[in-house]
Amino acid sequence: MFAKKPTGNRLKVQASPPRAAERATPRTRLGFSSWRDQHLYSLFSSLGRLLAKPWATALTALVMGLALALPLLFLILLDNARGLSGGWQDAREITVFLKPDAPVDAARQLAEALRKRSDVAAVKQITPEQGLEEFRQMSGFADALAVLQFNPLPQVLVVTPQELRGSDDPAVLAELRQQPSVDLVQYDAAWRRRLGAILGLSQRSVLVLAGLLAMATLLVVGNTVRMDIQSRAEEIAVMQLIGASPGFVRRPFLYTGIWYGLFSGAFALIVVFGVQWALSHPVNQLLESYDHRFALRGLEPLAALAVPVLSAVLGWLGAMLATARHLAEAHPD
Amino acid sequence: MIRFDQVTKRYASGHEAVHDLSFELAAGEMAFITGHSGAGKSTMLKLIGLIERPTRGHVTVNGQNLHGLRRGRIPELRRGIGMVFQDHRLLMDRSVYDNVALPLIIAGQSREEIARRVRAALDKVGLLERERAEPVTLSTGEQQRVGIARAIVAKPSVLIADEPTGNLDPQLSAEIMQLFADFQQVGTTVLVASHDLPLVKRMGKRVLVLNQGRLLDDWRPGGG
Repeated sequence: MFAKKPTGNRLKVQASPPRAAERATPRTRLGFSSWRDQHLYSLFSSLGRLLAKPWATALTALVMGLALALPLLFLILLDNARGLSGGWQDAREITVFLKPDAPVDAARQLAEALRKRSDVAAVKQITPEQGLEEFRQMSGFADALAVLQFNPLPQVLVVTPQELRGSDDPAVLAELRQQPSVDLVQYDAAWRRRLGAILGLSQRSVLVLAGLLAMATLLVVGNTVRMDIQSRAEEIAVMQLIGASPGFVRRPFLYTGIWYGLFSGAFALIVVFGVQWALSHPVNQLLESYDHRFALRGLEPLAALAVPVLSAVLGWLGAMLATARHLAEAHPD
Repeated sequence: MIRFDQVTKRYASGHEAVHDLSFELAAGEMAFITGHSGAGKSTMLKLIGLIERPTRGHVTVNGQNLHGLRRGRIPELRRGIGMVFQDHRLLMDRSVYDNVALPLIIAGQSREEIARRVRAALDKVGLLERERAEPVTLSTGEQQRVGIARAIVAKPSVLIADEPTGNLDPQLSAEIMQLFADFQQVGTTVLVASHDLPLVKRMGKRVLVLNQGRLLDDWRPGGG
């Protein structure tokens, strides 16, 4: 049927007329290299498109970045609050003040008795002399103590109960309170529990806030991609007319979402590190008053790495939602 | 190869663009569709690319009955059909090269193959020197030739064109039509809608004359 040879010397598209069967559909390379080429094409064409309008892109990424930075900062704050209170939370010690007139032996006997109990992990005896020495070492107290004629400190026992499951007070606590030689038993369980509850509530609040802000970024990306789709309706129509699959048409928009996510994630990190840097000096001053028992905990490297990954996923998801809705809407077949 | 079997297309508005149309265009054959505007020329071409689906009847392209073709298979069908539009429908924000490369990128060709074929197609339409140009800097005739290069770059077996010379002067129109004739020479099935009857007659190819959606005449060269 196609015996006719090409006659014109302008026919350089193909050297010889191929048979119709071979040309029913263009030969398509299958496999990885074709897949990779198509993705690279979408990746860079979407990036080029974003960089062609840097201000609009930056503005969108900034809005998203701030929305991401906010819960991150709260989480860091919360993490530090936990770190600060962690020392207190772990402290299970019961401080037992004996009556001032109790003899030294009474303290020793009580300590011995307590050590034999199975629910007591450790007992530390602090004599009035040791207590005074401790006070002396704390700055500012030495002068005041020199004025004292006698040692006003009582015998003190620091009892560490075995670790408790649940929030019940240790049994030893009630018994200590009934000891005749005991003046005061200090155990701040209720206060600690309250602190724990406040921290738990804060954490939940931050998570809810993070969820809401993540939804906001999703909408920002979705809306940006939607406008992008609308402004490129003609291009989409042409692509569909020349045989682009829905996946091919959608892909650059998904990459656009991923780019927005990456940019905003990077920006959120800049904000977080900036705030950390801006606060580091006053915070360190505050920590100095705690004798450096606590250090400011910033964003961990692994968490910092997770931020752009998560924001890229958010961007992709937002673009996915927008394309699912608006591509079908724009050009029904 | 293109075949219409008693094809009717009625739009939702009630307008019947094509009525009980039957004809067959053999593989490697070239034909013109002519008729007044509104005669159904564009609709006929749209039915071939499944831009529209017929209300009744069957359209067969390359042996494939489009009636049962699922939506998901439409892109594959269109990759086998080169389409040229009156307003060329180029992407104005991309270079000539990128426009012509698009069907090959969609088909997943390698970069080297794309470069080779795009240059060959641009050479064929005489625009090899303009590959880096923006389409807006080209004349209307040149833009249309870029549109043709894009349509043929993936070597489709069927080439359809809707008023490809609608905006061109007679000299350019004749050149464009000759391009289509050249593609037929290499085995492509070519169907061109045009209302430029004098030009169509000079080409000496088969002519389908439409009037109000019906086939009025099927003129073949030599056969009368």
